[in-house]
Amino acid sequence: MGQPSNMGQLFDKLNDLKAVFVYGQKIIPVVQSLIDFMKETVPLLENINNSISESTNKIPKATDHINNVTNATELATTEILDIIDHVSEDLIAIEKRLVDISDQKVEQVEKLAKLKELVKGNSEAETLVSEIIAHVSVDEQLKAVTEKLAMIREESNNITLSLQVQDITSQQLAAVNHLIASVQNKLASLITDLTDNDLSDFDKEEPENSTFNAGALYSKDSSSQDIADALINENNLKTSQEEIDKLFK
Amino acid sequence: MKFLIVDDSITMRRIVANTLKNLGYTEFVEASDGKDALDKLAADDGIDFVITDWNMPVLSGLELIKAIRSSDSFANLPVLMVTTRGVKEDIMEALSAKVNNYIVKPFTPPVLKEKIEQILAAIA
Repeated sequence: MGQPSNMGQLFDKLNDLKAVFVYGQKIIPVVQSLIDFMKETVPLLENINNSISESTNKIPKATDHINNVTNATELATTEILDIIDHVSEDLIAIEKRLVDISDQKVEQVEKLAKLKELVKGNSEAETLVSEIIAHVSVDEQLKAVTEKLAMIREESNNITLSLQVQDITSQQLAAVNHLIASVQNKLASLITDLTDNDLSDFDKEEPENSTFNAGALYSKDSSSQDIADALINENNLKTSQEEIDKLFK
Repeated sequence: MKFLIVDDSITMRRIVANTLKNLGYTEFVEASDGKDALDKLAADDGIDFVITDWNMPVLSGLELIKAIRSSDSFANLPVLMVTTRGVKEDIMEALSAKVNNYIVKPFTPPVLKEKIEQILAAIA
């Protein structure tokens, strides 16, 4: 009775083996195509690896270049500010000189008025003195020059204020540098292990205590200032109310 | 009135100083970061007003405000923040740190004048 059972088990095993062979026959082309794919992929992976290495090597140069740009713009801005300072000093000197000239003219006119009094009765002398007074009194011209100088001063102030763009763009460039450095780190780890890295987790965020604001914008739009003003006012009102409430407790 | 201008950008320090000069203020001390500012405050008890940036190395403007407010010597010093950070959350954070007023860069002289005067009127 035991023999048929053993035979049955044998046939079962043979069937299993046959199934393995059949499965093996089916899987061989898949394995073959996998090997072919791997053969084709290896050069591709090598290319990717080389490309990543090359990019990684270039990144420090890119960040250096950006730093150089920031330094150059800061230097240029400082030079412009120096020039504006000199222009402002010159303007102050000119304005001071104009005030002196104006004072001298007032003094001259006063003296000429006295002279006119002294020559009263001598119509020819009186006319002559009057003509000199008219010639000396150049208030309108002085006023025009002073106004022009004020305009120049205003324009140089505007140039100074526009130079805030240097600080703002340098923060934007620092943010780009941070992103590039983050990409470099990621690429470096990719070279070490191509498979275990997720390209999506670049550090796009501004690090804590960073010296830049990635969202820095040079804009004359006052909406951000309006928000700040509204919040400050709200906060002040709240504080005042808290102080009043304290008094009534 | 003596101002302490705190910014890591030389350009910004000069622009703020020039603007203050045009507004009639003549005394300034400069610091390149929050720590430098605290050192200047400790060394000079004549400083009446602080104008600070936010993003700076070593010690940020926000940390500077917190340090000032927790100090025994200059807790009540008026502080105006001038920064590129214009989002509501940042402004709220600065307010929590007890900044007196807040300007978003780029600033204009009338805005700087207005905020200084508002602070001085409030503390008078």
